[in-house]
Amino acid sequence: MSDSPRKKQRITPRNSDVHESVNTETPYLNLRQLAGAIQNPITPFRRAISAGPTPGSRRTPSIPIRTPGTAARRSANRPIPARRAAPTTPHAIRALRERANAARTPGHNRRRSGRVQRETPRDILRDLSKVLARTTRPVQPSPLVPQPAPRNPALDDFEDGPDPVAPRLSLAISDMYYDDDDSFHEAPPRRSLLPDLPDDVDTGTIHSVELGRRALSEDPRRMFSTRVSERFADLNELGIDAASGFEVDGTFITRRAPLDAEQLLLENDEDLDETTTELQALTGGQGNHRSDIDLGVFGNDDEFDEPTFRFTIPHRTQAAARPGVIEEADEDADEYEDAESDARPQLDIAEGETIGAPELGGYESEGDAGEDLDLQAYREEASAIDRSLQTQSAEGPILNKEVRKQRKGLNISRHGLEYPSFPAVTVRRLATGFSRTQGSNGKINKDTMATIMQATEWFFEQVSDDLASYAQHAGRKMIEEDDVITLMKRQRQITENTTSFSLAQKMLPRELLQELRIPPTPKLKRTKRKRTEMMERGEEEAD
Amino acid sequence: MPQQTLYPRGTLKKIVKAHSNKPLSKNVDILIFLNYTLFLQDLMREASISAKQNRSGTRGGAGITARDVRKVREGVLRKYKG
Repeated sequence: MSDSPRKKQRITPRNSDVHESVNTETPYLNLRQLAGAIQNPITPFRRAISAGPTPGSRRTPSIPIRTPGTAARRSANRPIPARRAAPTTPHAIRALRERANAARTPGHNRRRSGRVQRETPRDILRDLSKVLARTTRPVQPSPLVPQPAPRNPALDDFEDGPDPVAPRLSLAISDMYYDDDDSFHEAPPRRSLLPDLPDDVDTGTIHSVELGRRALSEDPRRMFSTRVSERFADLNELGIDAASGFEVDGTFITRRAPLDAEQLLLENDEDLDETTTELQALTGGQGNHRSDIDLGVFGNDDEFDEPTFRFTIPHRTQAAARPGVIEEADEDADEYEDAESDARPQLDIAEGETIGAPELGGYESEGDAGEDLDLQAYREEASAIDRSLQTQSAEGPILNKEVRKQRKGLNISRHGLEYPSFPAVTVRRLATGFSRTQGSNGKINKDTMATIMQATEWFFEQVSDDLASYAQHAGRKMIEEDDVITLMKRQRQITENTTSFSLAQKMLPRELLQELRIPPTPKLKRTKRKRTEMMERGEEEAD
Repeated sequence: MPQQTLYPRGTLKKIVKAHSNKPLSKNVDILIFLNYTLFLQDLMREASISAKQNRSGTRGGAGITARDVRKVREGVLRKYKG
């Protein structure tokens, strides 16, 4: 490195040369120039690690000792052999011998290490330049074009820009499958489904594409739009249009001011039919979904301005028939016909009048000409009665009838079956026990008891509905243990940690537990087989 | 333990049968009753919580009132919807 200042002086004029004549520029020169620009290497303060120990030096290398092995080797360098045990492993023996050899020939070691050690970027570049100098030549721009005459600077902009992109010789992928691409009149339609692609397309990723599917509740249109007009399409799907008896008001569906009963009668039949279909659509048609709608009516007596959808039943109908009866009317239309063809008491007529739309619709849908006459007569009669009877007076006896029924302990489900109400004694006993475990005094007054009984009633209705759906889904006629277990799983009552048996053990008396314990295992298998058989049969039928 | 006697099994079977319009297998009613007990337990627990929230401090023994149950029962019923 003693010659570096001389070199530097030689380089500098050449540098200026380079600036003047661009033509003589070669990689070699560039590298030389770069090497000159780099600061002269200072002799490193420390020797490279690879160079080995400095012979004769007593100072320990400043390598951080990481392993006990290195520590041992370090101590091997020390002239206190007595304290150290002789190396036992072949590796250690060999390393020790090499070290000793290195110490014996110091000059050799130093010379070799010096060359490796003083490697700097400058040296590397110099080496490279030496290698390249043999093959490279100064670059000559092939045709020496004279500089064009100066022109309008505005035009120069175009001239100086990059060369136009060479035209692509292959087809773009998007154009590949449209032969009639040159007809620009019809833009290719965007399809919601994947198009039929030719066979040579790699369909590897196509099947992984999930088609857009979004819950209605998360529809961004609904979330961000405030205009009511945009919602009309959705609501019309429910079967509501502006001409019907319901007003669409934002998210609310409210009933219009109730029409006069006579006016309702005078209107033509189509209107009534429409109303019927709407009611069916609103109540979900088939009975099984009814409890969904009922859920909105829970707090009916408490809050009236609850901002959820509620199917408002006209007051008189509600009084006359409990909500289930409307559907009953739809489902068992013939029963009603029977009832009507009887010589009926006036009360029944009034009731039929108040139920109004659905019943009449159901009646008319199967009406013959002869029945139409009957109906006509019936209507006149009914309207006359309605005129004479005030609404309130008609309501009273019916209510009384309901009360009488309940007092007898016989309610009517929406399937038209009578059932007893769950005994209040049992409920009270259970509830008292539970409330006592909650730390209350365990006394339940009459009002509370009535509320709990109502909840019980709803609970059984809901559970029965669910169980019926599960059994139906499984293709069974009978409700079985599986259904209840499924239900409890969905209620998150049965989890990985709690089985139905652990729950039963906790909650039920021993007698019931024993009855419960015997059946399930064989039954499970059987129902499973039965279910698969059913499914196979269903598939065969479908085929 | 509060439950020492049996519940009327026939009654419960009749109720469920009437509501679902389907026959029940032999011992399902026990499981249904189990579910009902769980439901009632939840109902009473929620109601007592609500009672304690409403009248904390004002009265000593916070008895469960009809209002508490009414407030709570919709949520509990929802929870027990399959």
